[in-house]
Amino acid sequence: MHNQRHWGYIFTLPFVINVIVFLLFPIVFSAYISFTQYDLFNPPKWIGLTNWINVLKKQEFWLSMRNVSVFALIFVPIQTALAFLIAFLLNQAALRAKSLFRLFYFLPVVTPWLAAGVVWSWMFNYQYGVINWFLGLFGINPVNWLYHKSWVVVITSIALVNVWKGMGQSMVILLAGMQNVPQEVLESAQIDGASGWKQLTHIVFPIVTPMVYMVMILSTISAFQAFDVFLGLFGGITTGISEQVMVPNLTIYRDSFLLFKMGPASATAWLLFFVILAITLFQRYFEKRWVHYE
Amino acid sequence: MKKRQSIFVLLVALVLVMSLVVVGHGQTKKPVKLKIGLPGSYDVTSKDIIDKFIATHPHINVEIQEAPWGDFTSKIATQIAGNTMPDVWFQENAVILGYGQRGVAEDLAPYIARDLNVDEYIDGLFSARTPEGKVWGVPHGINPVALAYNKTVFEEAGVPFPTDDWTYADLIETAKKLTVKEGDEPKRFGFIGAYAITNGWFPWIKQAGGSALDETKTKSMFDDPRTVAGLKQLRQGIEEGYFTNVDFNKAHGGDLAVFASGKAAMHFMQYSLQVNMQNQFPDTDWDVVKMPKAVNGERYVPMVGNTWLISSRASKDAKEAAWEFLRFYLSDEVQDIVAASGSTLPVKKSAYAVVENAGTKPLNKKAYTEGIAEGGVTLDENATWNEWRLLVQQQVNESVVHGKISVEEAAAEIHKRVQAVLDENK
Repeated sequence: MHNQRHWGYIFTLPFVINVIVFLLFPIVFSAYISFTQYDLFNPPKWIGLTNWINVLKKQEFWLSMRNVSVFALIFVPIQTALAFLIAFLLNQAALRAKSLFRLFYFLPVVTPWLAAGVVWSWMFNYQYGVINWFLGLFGINPVNWLYHKSWVVVITSIALVNVWKGMGQSMVILLAGMQNVPQEVLESAQIDGASGWKQLTHIVFPIVTPMVYMVMILSTISAFQAFDVFLGLFGGITTGISEQVMVPNLTIYRDSFLLFKMGPASATAWLLFFVILAITLFQRYFEKRWVHYE
Repeated sequence: MKKRQSIFVLLVALVLVMSLVVVGHGQTKKPVKLKIGLPGSYDVTSKDIIDKFIATHPHINVEIQEAPWGDFTSKIATQIAGNTMPDVWFQENAVILGYGQRGVAEDLAPYIARDLNVDEYIDGLFSARTPEGKVWGVPHGINPVALAYNKTVFEEAGVPFPTDDWTYADLIETAKKLTVKEGDEPKRFGFIGAYAITNGWFPWIKQAGGSALDETKTKSMFDDPRTVAGLKQLRQGIEEGYFTNVDFNKAHGGDLAVFASGKAAMHFMQYSLQVNMQNQFPDTDWDVVKMPKAVNGERYVPMVGNTWLISSRASKDAKEAAWEFLRFYLSDEVQDIVAASGSTLPVKKSAYAVVENAGTKPLNKKAYTEGIAEGGVTLDENATWNEWRLLVQQQVNESVVHGKISVEEAAAEIHKRVQAVLDENK
């Protein structure tokens, strides 16, 4: 038995190597280069905290953090609420063509951002977009959704597109949770005269709170890592996306792969990581107050 | 019998002499491996050129590393970091200048001085030269801009065609004349209000007497009132509706489609786009004239291009082989192939006959060839061009394109930020 123990280590070796090479090393190396001047082409030169200080001094970093925070504040609650509502409706026994509806709501998830971005930028077009045309039918003046003077309008528009894209994914997770709600519990509640709303708020929601919590955590992380939605809607980093609507991942991408400033890019990435970690811990702190695991 | 012996001896002697020649030849041209990077594969660089080089240089063992443009440019940075890059490849000129500053590119000035007669080439040969005299690459091709006009629109409106003597004031006046509105809805614009650097804001600031950077490429010129005036003229055209706006262009299929369909009468068109015009809009009746003259009477023809560079980390033999390839690329034979492609202008003057006699639209290709000879200018490219160009574009979008802030505010912000980038990288 003792002689066979080493086989366990040998069998786990491919996974361990994978983790070391593709996970641990990049993490450690990115931390290291955040303290260096590194352009990919020449060896890194140690410069201490300079990158961190420079990033924190830049107005662009704080604007990008402001934007991504507002983006998350709009995106996470709306997406979670809508996904929950749609999952609940799709879970109704009386509903016909469930598969078709599930497919309909999940379709945006599998649509590439490249295509979705083009379509949405068309819909948002100030002069010729379908949204402004529709508003015009009610006598509402056109809105410059993506190039509005107010950054809040732009970030809100983008967050709503992200809701459209990500809702299906959250809906599937919540639907899976709702399908585990014991049917007999719902039936006995119905016999006792509980309305649909009461069943939703007093039975279904408490049972699926672990799923809701997971959806919120995942959505928050993905919101702070927003990248594709901005690139898709604005057509690329080189088109000159306004600083007023920049998010951290765009600046990281630009600094690293367009300007070859790996030091500031890594420092920004680590700062973003600390922000996400803090928010996740904050969410975890309140978890026990509303999430029921039994 | 004796005669036969003599012939035999002669033949043996001949074979020996030939062998010596071949051996001698082999000694001067020892085998060498050369890795050539081709972004955009053979869609961008004619396969004919590579095949001819391989056929005429048997001692050079060529390995081609090809990839679609986007993939290549993201891959090459990783390759450089890992020291596995090709010996010679090309990218945008501004990127090459950045590589030069970072020590990735070989200085080609000594090679050019040794092997090329620079009088045979246009000034664009030195697009990648720094103010200090280093040459980080030689052009893959040059893409200048000319004023394209839709003949049908002009004829229908009874307006005379543009000429090489036009100024920007003529362009603006004619654009106003050619603009047609039905109520508030524009039916036709006089000119395409492009906002990218090459055919958008850069020619407008140059014509007004301004520039992006000074001659040393170390000082921002966005505080120059002439630079601001140029930007304002472009904004005014868009705002007052005789230049197209970004929404109109987008909704009608892009700049080329708008121009080809006659929804806009004039356009600053890059040379390479003639291929798209021929393929997508063969029936459009159009031609070009030289870029209009600036307020000072000079002509400025913005030109962009891709530039070949030799890796500074290649072996000595590979560097010589790479330069052999670039010399071949700059030869009459290959420059004629480049000229015939129509996708870019060659840099050798002798090849311009091929361009000018192509017989395809636009017929007046001299607007490009003579245009760059007369006033070809790069886009004030330097090693930090990618960085400061982005900052300018952000503010141009805000002010000129979308009118969210005034041009003066944008110019002041650009000046501050561009100067900071230039100072940081001194």
